[in-house]
Amino acid sequence: MAAKKTMTLNLTDAEMRVLDELCEKKDLSKTAVLRQALRLYQLIESRVDKGDKLFFEDEKTKEKAEVMML
Amino acid sequence: MTITVSPIFLFNAERSEPEAAELWDGITDQQLGDWEGEWVPELFKAVQKLHRAGVERRHWPQSRHWNWRKKTEALQGMLAHLGFSIVCNGMTQGMMIVDTTMKRCRIEEQKGKNLVYVEFVENAPWNRPELAQPPLYRGIGSILVRAAIALSQEEEFKGRIGLHSLPQANSFYANTCGMSDLGMDPDHQDLRYFEMTPEQAEAFIAKGNQP
Amino acid sequence: MRIEITKEWCLRMAEIEANAEIGAGLYALDPVFDGETMPANETNEEPSIAFGRFVRLMRRDRGLTLEKLAEDTDVEISELVEIEDDTHHKPELRTVYQLANYFKVPRSNLLQVAGLTAPRDNRLIDEAVRFAARSESVAVLTPEERAALEAFVAVLSEEK
Repeated sequence: MAAKKTMTLNLTDAEMRVLDELCEKKDLSKTAVLRQALRLYQLIESRVDKGDKLFFEDEKTKEKAEVMML
Repeated sequence: MTITVSPIFLFNAERSEPEAAELWDGITDQQLGDWEGEWVPELFKAVQKLHRAGVERRHWPQSRHWNWRKKTEALQGMLAHLGFSIVCNGMTQGMMIVDTTMKRCRIEEQKGKNLVYVEFVENAPWNRPELAQPPLYRGIGSILVRAAIALSQEEEFKGRIGLHSLPQANSFYANTCGMSDLGMDPDHQDLRYFEMTPEQAEAFIAKGNQP
Repeated sequence: MRIEITKEWCLRMAEIEANAEIGAGLYALDPVFDGETMPANETNEEPSIAFGRFVRLMRRDRGLTLEKLAEDTDVEISELVEIEDDTHHKPELRTVYQLANYFKVPRSNLLQVAGLTAPRDNRLIDEAVRFAARSESVAVLTPEERAALEAFVAVLSEEK
């Protein structure tokens, strides 16, 4: 991996709790979770910029709910 | 883009001796140039007989990935996708594209966990047994799998990787790499899906350390 | 990312890997032509009908079973069945070669009739359509069928 820079991140208690939960669930460090989140965010943004739509599909009903990206 | 080069070795089957090579953590213009200037013409030779017989392109057995440059360029700058390439004797010998974001593990014991998904692996035509007799360089597949494992460890995914193997490569991923075969995947043109656990990753690395 | 791999590891694994195929991922498989390809449904339907009909009548005219023709031409019997019965079937190139040799007609003509090459000779294609229409019955080879077959063979056999 390329050289990394360190930054300070200001999070509320609630945000920090979510981050801790995600780290626990995914067995990843805070850095790894946030890097993963950044990649996903970039990916979605680039697809939405191209005009693609983002959906969640219910596995049973096959019903699709569009996630609004404004 | 900044490329980090790791020194590696390939086995040159023509001269029957090791040859120093490089593993790059990226796919650059040089790779695309090699692909367009050397790989594609070599593939083309393999189908030239059909071409001469007047058979249309769509019937060529190896007619594929003609818009690979477009695909690679679309991935440039995307954090979710990384490329690797192997360079030996000034020429690109193998390439791999991985996705660190979109896929999750399928094996029960690690279901839902993050992994490095190998989207694409290809050997240069002159290293492929169905196109070259005999193939020139050996070891490219193992080094690319090793690179995917190293990335997975770096990302804290502990060596977990997954991929859809082409039918003729099933044996390599099952036996040489020791990955779990999860069977044909109807969502991926019935290619077999293989996944590696952290233990299998360790075993794969250990395999090459045994005399 | 720098990855430490020893020379010994590389060479040991190269030995184990040997000449294995390593291709993986849909992208290594997908036929992609950047829009240069002709969609499958653009191909002319009639020549395929004519091709299957031609093989069937030539076979029956020689009193051959499918098994015997498969054996004589070294073609899989399943492929012959598909050629005769499925008008959408795209035969293998080799199969068309084998059949052209066996029935002694020019390969390039039979390739056109089989829909594997773009039609270059309109008369050949017209004749193929007429042949398909005239030879519709598949019961016994009637004198009419024989006449149709012979007429078509005559056209097919013309070297350009």
